[in-house]
Amino acid sequence: MDIKSPFTTPASGRSIPVTPAPVGPTLIDIDHVDFFYGASQALHDINLKIEEKKVTAFIGPSGCGKSTLLRCLNRMNDLIDGTRVANGQIKIRGIDIYDRSVDVIELRKRVGMVFQKSNPFPKSIYENITYGLRLQGRSSKSDLDAVVEKSLRGAALWDEVKDRLHTSGLGLSGGQQQRLCIARAIAVEPEVILMDEPCSALDPIATVKVEELIQELRTKFTIVIVTHNMQQAARCSDKTAFFYMGKLIEFADTRAIFMNPANAQTEAYVSGRFG
Amino acid sequence: METPRPTSQSDFLVNKKRIRVFGLSFDDAIKIFFGGNAVVSIIVLALITYFLFQEGIGFFGQNHRNLLTYRQAGLEYVDFIRTQESGHIALTRYLSDLRLRQYNHYIAEQKMSPAAANEALAKFDEFAAQYGDAVEPIRGMVSDLTEQATAIKTKFLIAEDKKTERQQLLVAGKIDEAAAVKIEAVDFAAELHLLTGILPVYKQTSAEFAKKLDAALAVAPKLSTPELMVRLDRFNQLTHDYLATFPATARSLETWDYTRAVPWYQAISAFLFGREWLTASFWQDWYGIVPLLMGSVMVSLVALVIAVPLGVGAAIYINQIASAQEQRIIKPSIEFISAFPSVVLGFFGIAVLGQSLRWLSQQSWLAWVPGFPFSERLNILTAGCLLALIAVPTIFTLAEDALQNVPKAFKEASFALGATRLQTIIKIVVPASLSGIISAVLLGLGRVIGETMVVLLCAGNRIAIPDFTAGLAVVTQPVHTMTGIIAQEMGEVVRGSIHYRALFVVGIVLFFLSLGINFIAQKIVRKYRISIG
Amino acid sequence: MSPSTRHEFQSPPSAARRWESAALWLFRIATYVILICGAGVFGNIVVKGSKTVFTSTAPFINVAFFTEAPESLYVFEYQGQKREMGDREFRAFKTTHPEAKDIKAESYVYSAGGIFPCIVGTVLLVLGSMMIALTLGVSAAVYLSEYAKQGRAVTLIRLAILNLAGVPSIVFGLFGLGLFVIYLDWNVSLLAGWFTLAFMVLPVVITASEESLKAVPKGFREGSLALGATKWQTIRKNVLPYALPGILTSSILGIARVAGETAPIMFTAAYVVRDKLPWEGLTSVSDFFFQGVMALPYHIYVVSSKIPQNEYTERVQYGTAFVFLVIVALIATCSIVMRNKLRNRYKW
Repeated sequence: MDIKSPFTTPASGRSIPVTPAPVGPTLIDIDHVDFFYGASQALHDINLKIEEKKVTAFIGPSGCGKSTLLRCLNRMNDLIDGTRVANGQIKIRGIDIYDRSVDVIELRKRVGMVFQKSNPFPKSIYENITYGLRLQGRSSKSDLDAVVEKSLRGAALWDEVKDRLHTSGLGLSGGQQQRLCIARAIAVEPEVILMDEPCSALDPIATVKVEELIQELRTKFTIVIVTHNMQQAARCSDKTAFFYMGKLIEFADTRAIFMNPANAQTEAYVSGRFG
Repeated sequence: METPRPTSQSDFLVNKKRIRVFGLSFDDAIKIFFGGNAVVSIIVLALITYFLFQEGIGFFGQNHRNLLTYRQAGLEYVDFIRTQESGHIALTRYLSDLRLRQYNHYIAEQKMSPAAANEALAKFDEFAAQYGDAVEPIRGMVSDLTEQATAIKTKFLIAEDKKTERQQLLVAGKIDEAAAVKIEAVDFAAELHLLTGILPVYKQTSAEFAKKLDAALAVAPKLSTPELMVRLDRFNQLTHDYLATFPATARSLETWDYTRAVPWYQAISAFLFGREWLTASFWQDWYGIVPLLMGSVMVSLVALVIAVPLGVGAAIYINQIASAQEQRIIKPSIEFISAFPSVVLGFFGIAVLGQSLRWLSQQSWLAWVPGFPFSERLNILTAGCLLALIAVPTIFTLAEDALQNVPKAFKEASFALGATRLQTIIKIVVPASLSGIISAVLLGLGRVIGETMVVLLCAGNRIAIPDFTAGLAVVTQPVHTMTGIIAQEMGEVVRGSIHYRALFVVGIVLFFLSLGINFIAQKIVRKYRISIG
Repeated sequence: MSPSTRHEFQSPPSAARRWESAALWLFRIATYVILICGAGVFGNIVVKGSKTVFTSTAPFINVAFFTEAPESLYVFEYQGQKREMGDREFRAFKTTHPEAKDIKAESYVYSAGGIFPCIVGTVLLVLGSMMIALTLGVSAAVYLSEYAKQGRAVTLIRLAILNLAGVPSIVFGLFGLGLFVIYLDWNVSLLAGWFTLAFMVLPVVITASEESLKAVPKGFREGSLALGATKWQTIRKNVLPYALPGILTSSILGIARVAGETAPIMFTAAYVVRDKLPWEGLTSVSDFFFQGVMALPYHIYVVSSKIPQNEYTERVQYGTAFVFLVIVALIATCSIVMRNKLRNRYKW
């Protein structure tokens, strides 16, 4: 056995019985969801319960549907022509977010997102953070100042940028930019933060910083992270879902997925045999 | 650390804040506003079509009446004989050309003095005079009949005007005044009797005319060279052909009937295939688009012949050969040329280019060029050269784009096989971008054919079908164009008149012509995109 | 390394090579012929026009040419001297010199005075039509790039834009005549000219705006939406501001086109001659919009086709062409230079 899993002990690879982590209250309930891009089906009958204040990782090879599912959770897929959730429901706190009565704007305030490619606006750092707040009509200076500091501290960026809050966010390094985007997301105090391969464009050192940040954020937010980097999933997530060809193959505690996968495909993937 | 938000608040997803008016949120309203603006393009295109037709379509009815009057007032009848007369005029012109050739021969080859040359031609002149005078009785007849037919037409038009006047008065409710408008109805049968009654006289005159021509031919003197004799024989032949048409003319006159209906489609075909655009004439107005269309096509062809090699050549040079520095300078420069206002180019044509070209054509070392020397400074060539300057930036920019789109890998693969630069360009790059280049040329054509000011100022504005028997020299003739005629005459016509409507119909033709060119160009481009992808 | 030694990679002097270099030269010549022709036209007008526009004494610019209205030029001989006078001057001269009352003078219309009303008219036409075109065009572009979903309607709109771009300018003139001048009964007026010109440049503005909007990265939109911004907030705060410089610079090319066209305003907005300036003699605000104006391109057409070419008329002909060409050229240069700069600056 030479599976490079952080949970593998040298003595006995997969024979350790994995004790299931305590089950928290469900926040997002994905219930038999089928999803289409035009005529082609991208997701097949997905069933998944995402727990509150946990980090849930979606893994799987490219094109397996993990990003699609993530973008369903705050309806970013609405922006793409011809997409639709054909069957099933996605419920947050029991409310179907695809219901007609749901205001997608309110939804997105509650379900923030961090993108694969860091996308700070070409404004100052301060304006980047306050962008979402100003949209909600918050304009008091002291209020905004406080939020900026809190968010930047929350994103572990404060010490690095506190002296240049009014310079362009584009002047930061790649990793700083991504943390700025995270700070921007947490400034509007969402309940959930979706992260779409947040570290794929970062160098290893910056990646470590973002991962540490995720560990800190888990106490306050429910985090769903899509990653193609299995070590990352293993390092920072509580639960892991493995997708393949638009289907959810296996969903379990991260330890179980990496050490004792129930499914042969999962095992093949996590052991690096394909993907 | 405090929790971000009270978790019990579970109704947070329900939309309750946004204000709705008629079931529309503010964002929907914005979207509809933008969408409405986007639809403007469609509306404008529809309005253009609608108003061109609204103003233009009445032309065909009016033209139909125009043609009907032509028949009913006997103008058509007179024109049968007039055609016979003008046939003779063409023949006498041939004869004078023959005399000139003989004269030149005497002067140049036989070294005669002008007086002696004229002396030697005395016999020929006698023959020519006899030949020419033969037509006089017919000519007199035509001019008498012309007067009569014009009188009938005028009478008819006055009656029509009165009718309209009465109609208007009636509409205005002035019944008494309407009754007071006297309408003199035209009795065509009676009036035309004067015209048709001349038939027996005509037959006799025509027969005499034929005899005289025959007699004249009999005394035709010999000419001094075999080449000229061949021409004289040709003239004989032409005269006989001409004489052979006489019975047909007589038959047309006999069978002519003013009551015969003018089919409706003739109003359209007379426009589309009419070889004359003749307006404000005392006799009969003709609205035939052919001379204008030919003018536009000729000017555009000349422009493309010049612009395509230059534009495509420059595109290839800039894209494939030039250094980066040359590119940086030349590309904006050519774009800059595209900003030249066309009216300034037209002015340049009048002020400089026309004269320069004429001067150039009169240089003896250029005498071998067909059509050189020419005397009209404003002609197809002048306009074509300037239009080429307008078309070049369009063709260059689009062709350069097409070349740019050729994947670099194609080129690299070719070089890797040891091909030279030229081979790569000719065998790989140009074929791969050919459809793009063709559509660039087509769009250039669309630009040129719709261009107004340059042709208005520089094409010479002579409404006539270019004489293609001149071969390539045809490009030195002045023409009028579709765009030019609209710009020139629209300001002077009465709104609602047949002439006004005819100009709108020319506009319709122009509109659909350019739409067609555009459509084909786009079609080619689309195909090309698919083939690359 | 002596020249006589040959190695494997040395190119053999061959006919093919000569052909190749000849062909490459042909392409180069084609390019330079274009440039020379363009420079020739430009140079001719600049050289001859500057004689009218500039003077050899201070203030070095022919102020009268820019500030006066066109008038007729009278050329006559008086006491053995050749005199040239504008219309007003000539009349004044005749009153002060009674003996010259019946003097014979050759007259050339529009050949004296200046072109001030034409400049004013052109500026008004350009401003108004660009305002309309920008409003319509930018909005349409926002719809097409931000809101529209692929479908029949959008295909139709794009088709309409493409085809509108190919409609000859004279046809726009006919359309303006039919719709604005006759049907809406606006007569020959600024308003009719504005709309005619605006519709004509609409495709240019839409295409340019859409290109600029597309150049704004998708991340800006997604980032903003993910923070709970509405679509309109996103566009207004995070898309339009970054696209605007591009939209404006590209639209300047549209301005050059609007200013340069003659055919569309011939029947819709331009007068051959008008004594009053646009702000003179107005009885109400609406009068301003319903008046025709003189315009530079139309004036060039008039002076180059309706009056003969000679030493007296040449001044105003070349002068007008020069001023007009320089204005349009400046606008175009601005656009080209700014666009190239912009392309380099904005890299997200």
